[in-house]
Amino acid sequence: MNCVLEGNSIKAFGKAIHALSRVGDELWLDPTVKGLALRSVNSAHSAYACFLFSPLFFQQYNLDSVREQDSGPIKCKLVMKCVLPLFRCSTSIEHSVKRCQISVSTGSDQVIVQFFCRHGITKTYNVRFLESEALQAVFASHLCPNVLKSPARLLGDMVMHFHASQEEVTLSMSAPKVSLRNYNEGRNDHMKMMHTEMSLHPDEFDYFQAGMDSDITFCLKELRGLLCFAESHCLPVSVHFGTPGKPVCFSVEDMVLEATVVLATLADFESRGPSQPTETPAPTTHSCADAAALPVGIHETQSNNLQVLPDVTELVESSQGSPITYPPVLMQLQCQGDSACAGMTPPSSMICSLLFEAMSSESGDDDDAPRLPVLAYFSDEEDYPRSPSL
Amino acid sequence: MKFRGKIIDIACLNHFTRVVTTISKLTKMCVLRLTPDNLFFVLSGKVANGGVSMWCELSQANFFDEYQMEGVSSEDNEICLEVTPENLSRALKTVQNAKAVKVKLTKKHCPCLTIAAELPTLSSVSRVVTHDVPVDVIPRRLWHEFKEPSMPDFDVSIYLPPLKTMKNIVDRMKNLSNFLVIEANLNGEMNLKIETDLVSVTTHFRDLGNPPWGDDASQDGGPSQSRDPESMVEARVDIRRLQQFLVGQQVNPSKAMCNIVHQSVLHLILLHEDMSLQYFIPAVA
Repeated sequence: MNCVLEGNSIKAFGKAIHALSRVGDELWLDPTVKGLALRSVNSAHSAYACFLFSPLFFQQYNLDSVREQDSGPIKCKLVMKCVLPLFRCSTSIEHSVKRCQISVSTGSDQVIVQFFCRHGITKTYNVRFLESEALQAVFASHLCPNVLKSPARLLGDMVMHFHASQEEVTLSMSAPKVSLRNYNEGRNDHMKMMHTEMSLHPDEFDYFQAGMDSDITFCLKELRGLLCFAESHCLPVSVHFGTPGKPVCFSVEDMVLEATVVLATLADFESRGPSQPTETPAPTTHSCADAAALPVGIHETQSNNLQVLPDVTELVESSQGSPITYPPVLMQLQCQGDSACAGMTPPSSMICSLLFEAMSSESGDDDDAPRLPVLAYFSDEEDYPRSPSL
Repeated sequence: MKFRGKIIDIACLNHFTRVVTTISKLTKMCVLRLTPDNLFFVLSGKVANGGVSMWCELSQANFFDEYQMEGVSSEDNEICLEVTPENLSRALKTVQNAKAVKVKLTKKHCPCLTIAAELPTLSSVSRVVTHDVPVDVIPRRLWHEFKEPSMPDFDVSIYLPPLKTMKNIVDRMKNLSNFLVIEANLNGEMNLKIETDLVSVTTHFRDLGNPPWGDDASQDGGPSQSRDPESMVEARVDIRRLQQFLVGQQVNPSKAMCNIVHQSVLHLILLHEDMSLQYFIPAVA
């Protein structure tokens, strides 16, 4: 693989790496026909981020011819600590770097990053990579009952009210408003913790769909990188979420790139003590078994979510057609059919894991929809935009 | 007990935030006393914080456009709260562009000072952000610990050099020694001295000027006129306490001075337009 970046793209690329560095310690570089995908996941597998740069983003973009035994281009995993310093100082990059060339050398297992700078200086960095299976998370964002699309600065402004040390926040949808508050686990010193809350009116959003009332709690740290990126590019941020326990997806998109962050959310509210008086009574249990028996009033897609999960062995469309890696904890969430969820983690579990399937927003085209067995009929296609478009 | 205040003016909000931020740099926890006319941030000298005490006085009219309070009772028309100023500072810092900020005493899961800010948005509806800062109510029987400190029987009073300069010097001296001697005389001269086995460093300041407290403020001990203007009085203090005081100052005060009681206490006084801050550092042997 060989690609060349010029001008502002270099800065954008660097910012993407910054955002990814907030998520995980390793960077997956995945050159595909659709573009170069940069991905990262955190150690707990509760946060995943992906930046997909289409070939148009680059001055030049060439995929090498196939290697002997493998079916396609390289999948490589880099240590973030090695890559981040290259793009650390965005102001100096802006001033001095004219061109950046990134190539993957299979023979020596290296990614070669060359900066062609002013005054004839060329900086070459060889970063060793580990060959690895593709990392790809799949999230059926078009099935999410709640969708928000916020202008670039809105989420950033909101998040600014929370201190950098605040780890988790709760986003509550209860039509007709959305509120955001900090989440403090029941700790001994909870009496001393500050409590921050704000609410947003639907008018502030470019798109507001409140399919169901829900409170999701997720970690803010991994999100800040994406919000920073969105703000610097003035891109609106889309948020797709559903019931607590299901992942929440934040994405930004423009003509040449797509970025997504998928975060796990806390599954259980019952463990919260009386010290959280502002807690709105959330739907209590969300085990698969219960969901299957949800009253008619709840949105149809609710039950769909659980049954649309693919077979473990199904090769969902990933760039290389390689099997997806499923961390062990996720296996439990794979519900097969109605008798589903014997293996489901009990409601009291505090950890929620990601579903690893093909990202619907990444795949981008409609071919993917038939791959996932849709067992229920969408009453109204227009209500569920597959991915936010500008 | 009720308290409700509202700040509308952006400059007032800014000043108030700066005051609270300064206090937050001086101490982790302090007492906030609310009276009908004033707010006081008080730290009473205890062994735990090295005997350092602080008294900061603000006139509520300088900051609040609306201010209503009802104290514990009609004779004791005051509210005393123990608060972590850093929480207040964090809350205030994020709402600097608010249209209005309300500060209220509320009871959520515990007594709280609620900072509710109305922020401007692009849409027609304002966004409201609330920060609940937990506080502890101080019972009346402990109020005597938080009374205004009396002016100490000082031997010398002198204006301080520019705080930034002092801070730079103290920062560097801190690398060499844990204790610093501050000495001054009635001739406007001040020295900052440190002494270790290997090295001694002294910084001399001249022509600082001495505040004219006047004869009635001069002490019963010896009238200041009789003191030899050249003779120095000194106080040896923990350098970290002095540094902490200097680090917190973000704006140059209108007046900055210190009173030294020989080998007893260092009393620092900063007067700003809208607030006054006194800081006592005890001398160590």
